[in-house]
Amino acid sequence: MKRWMTLLLSAILLVSLAACGGGNGGNNSKNAEGTGGSGGEKKEEKVELTFWTLGTAGYDKLVEEWNAAHPNIQVKVQNTGDQTAHHNNLITALSAGSGAPDIFMLEIAFMEKFIKNQDKFYNLYDLGAKDIEGNYLEWKWKQAQSKDGKFQIGLPTDIGPSVVYYRADLMEKAGIPSDPVAFGEAINTWDKFAAVGKQFTDKTGVAFVDNTDLMFNALRDQSDSEIYFKKEDDSFIGDTNPQIKKAYDLTVKAIQEKWIGKTVLWSPEWGAAMNEGKVAVVLGPAWMKANITGNAPDTKGKWKVTQLPEGSGNWGGSFLTIPKETKHSKEAYEFITWLDNQDQQLRAFESSGLMPSIPAIYDTDTFKNAKDEFFSGQNIATEFAKAAQKIKPVYYGPLHDTTDSYFKSALRNVIEKNSDPAAEWDSAVKQSKDLAKRGG
Amino acid sequence: MPSKSKSFWTEKKKSAGVAYLFISPFFLLFAIFGIYPIIFTFYLSFFRWDALSPMEYVGFDNFKFVIEDPTFWISFMNTIVMALMGTIPQLIVALILAVMLNSSITRFKKAFRTLYFLPNITSIVAVTLVFSSFFGGEGIANWMLTSIGLDPVAWNSGWWGVKIAISIMVFWRWVGYNAIIYLSGLQSIPHDLYEAATIDGASRRQQLTSITLPLLKPFVVFTVLLSTIGALQLFTEPYVFLGQSGTGSTRQEGITMVIYLYSEAFRNSFFGTAASSAVILFFFTILFSVANHWLSNRMNGEDGEA
Repeated sequence: MKRWMTLLLSAILLVSLAACGGGNGGNNSKNAEGTGGSGGEKKEEKVELTFWTLGTAGYDKLVEEWNAAHPNIQVKVQNTGDQTAHHNNLITALSAGSGAPDIFMLEIAFMEKFIKNQDKFYNLYDLGAKDIEGNYLEWKWKQAQSKDGKFQIGLPTDIGPSVVYYRADLMEKAGIPSDPVAFGEAINTWDKFAAVGKQFTDKTGVAFVDNTDLMFNALRDQSDSEIYFKKEDDSFIGDTNPQIKKAYDLTVKAIQEKWIGKTVLWSPEWGAAMNEGKVAVVLGPAWMKANITGNAPDTKGKWKVTQLPEGSGNWGGSFLTIPKETKHSKEAYEFITWLDNQDQQLRAFESSGLMPSIPAIYDTDTFKNAKDEFFSGQNIATEFAKAAQKIKPVYYGPLHDTTDSYFKSALRNVIEKNSDPAAEWDSAVKQSKDLAKRGG
Repeated sequence: MPSKSKSFWTEKKKSAGVAYLFISPFFLLFAIFGIYPIIFTFYLSFFRWDALSPMEYVGFDNFKFVIEDPTFWISFMNTIVMALMGTIPQLIVALILAVMLNSSITRFKKAFRTLYFLPNITSIVAVTLVFSSFFGGEGIANWMLTSIGLDPVAWNSGWWGVKIAISIMVFWRWVGYNAIIYLSGLQSIPHDLYEAATIDGASRRQQLTSITLPLLKPFVVFTVLLSTIGALQLFTEPYVFLGQSGTGSTRQEGITMVIYLYSEAFRNSFFGTAASSAVILFFFTILFSVANHWLSNRMNGEDGEA
């Protein structure tokens, strides 16, 4: 009898536990129905939006302000530092059909994975995004668009226009014009850039450019509308894209003429080389400013910024998206259009250095008068803005990241192991083709 | 109690039922988080899937892709080479450490035991970060090599450099763990055996080869098996170590089978080929475990009675 009771009790316990788990879900859906059904009273209903942010966007303060002003639409921020984890979490939530946030911050490198599955997101055009499209940089807006241009998956936040960061004092020592305009002119083609690089290193013994990856990126991102993959059918074109060949060859030239540093990107030595004055030029996007100021505190006041040779390119930047799972797309849209409007973008620029994607900001006084002590008091914001307006939209393709790493590895092999550049190129092309085969 | 229910719920069945109910949480959890993913992986290996779009049946294509992919075989070779370089010296050193700890001449035994075990509980990512600056292009390792007149090694990209660096990390992390297991094995050997041997005039070496090693065999088999499985699943050390080199973990010198399948799934969104490489890895693991078992049985036979 006693055992029988134990069995019964345990069974009841188990069932009630399960009921507890299910009960919550039931309650939630009831709430949601209530919201939809009660029509006129909708504004009384309190809506909570979850917002997954990435890295150091610094949106917390802005969200606090929004929450104070909108007691009925409360936004809860969940931040993830690691890019890959951040996006994989969303993939998991979307394929499980639950657990996705109401608003998701999507980084450009992961765009293709999600735009391919646009049915998992709201089309911002359906929510009224046509009206604000003109505010944003055209190329940036198009990055978050389906190939046919009918589906807008995200609202542009920050951008990563590439520029030249350089040590003005070292240029002076080498007898090279150090003023941003004059230096920019001295290197306004890649051929001239290479010649100046060689001249500089021959004279000073210091590496001109810091690293193969950044050098390759700067040229790669100037590709004309496509990089490694064709927009139409995702076929591999990296071997025939003249800009990729040019990027590869010029980096090889820098290696052979020894005016490029050997350090590995993001490694401690890479940062130390900047601080110790072993590097004169860093080719990087606007957000690289934070890395330089962080890595090289001892060189404060010695840096300047100018334009890249032959145009600019973009690296990085994010978008605000609304996954289909949300029950509050209207409120979410209302929130992101506020968070991403001109005032808020300007403030995100001031507080966290996020480069705005609304060109009207570039003409405001705050922006024009922003002086940066680290960069010899130069107004570097306008340099970024100048670069931003030169960028043309490029198509990446879902395998961009891995394909790119093949070419980067090839260049590392050339610089570290003295391997034959042509053979390394062929092997990178072959690996890329094998990988592309699997995707098709 | 009514006779009808009594005929079914016999005393024996009832107690068995209660027992099953009490152990059911483990089996339920294991089914959800263990069995189901394994079965789903097998199922998934026949589909093309990017985790979001609908799945598409492709038959054995995924296996064909993986088997024909030279990178997969490179990852296989790397795994084997690093398994050998990481485990064999490690187990030998662990055994020596354990014998030293067990001998009566070592003082501060407890402190040493703790110290040896410490690497094992340190955060593996932190360890790898420290090691990556140690093995950096201009890191301490190369500085030491050059200061004794040797050429610096390309730890980040050299075919052997990468493997040696990673094997050293594995060695450092697991040597203490295995030493502790050996130590508990040594302590389980009855002391009177040694006393009897001493009376019979056996030397220390004879005692080691005729008493210690044979009686330690179950522990050796256990650590070899664990290390083999662990080595086949090597992931974090090479992933973080090569992740530091900017170009990510696809560098062929250090790619292991698990990194291969991880990048297939989470970098390239080829969940199908990732699943099929996981299935292949699954069979390799079984194969190696069986080989291990067979070898240890054979060793038993050669030694006669253990």
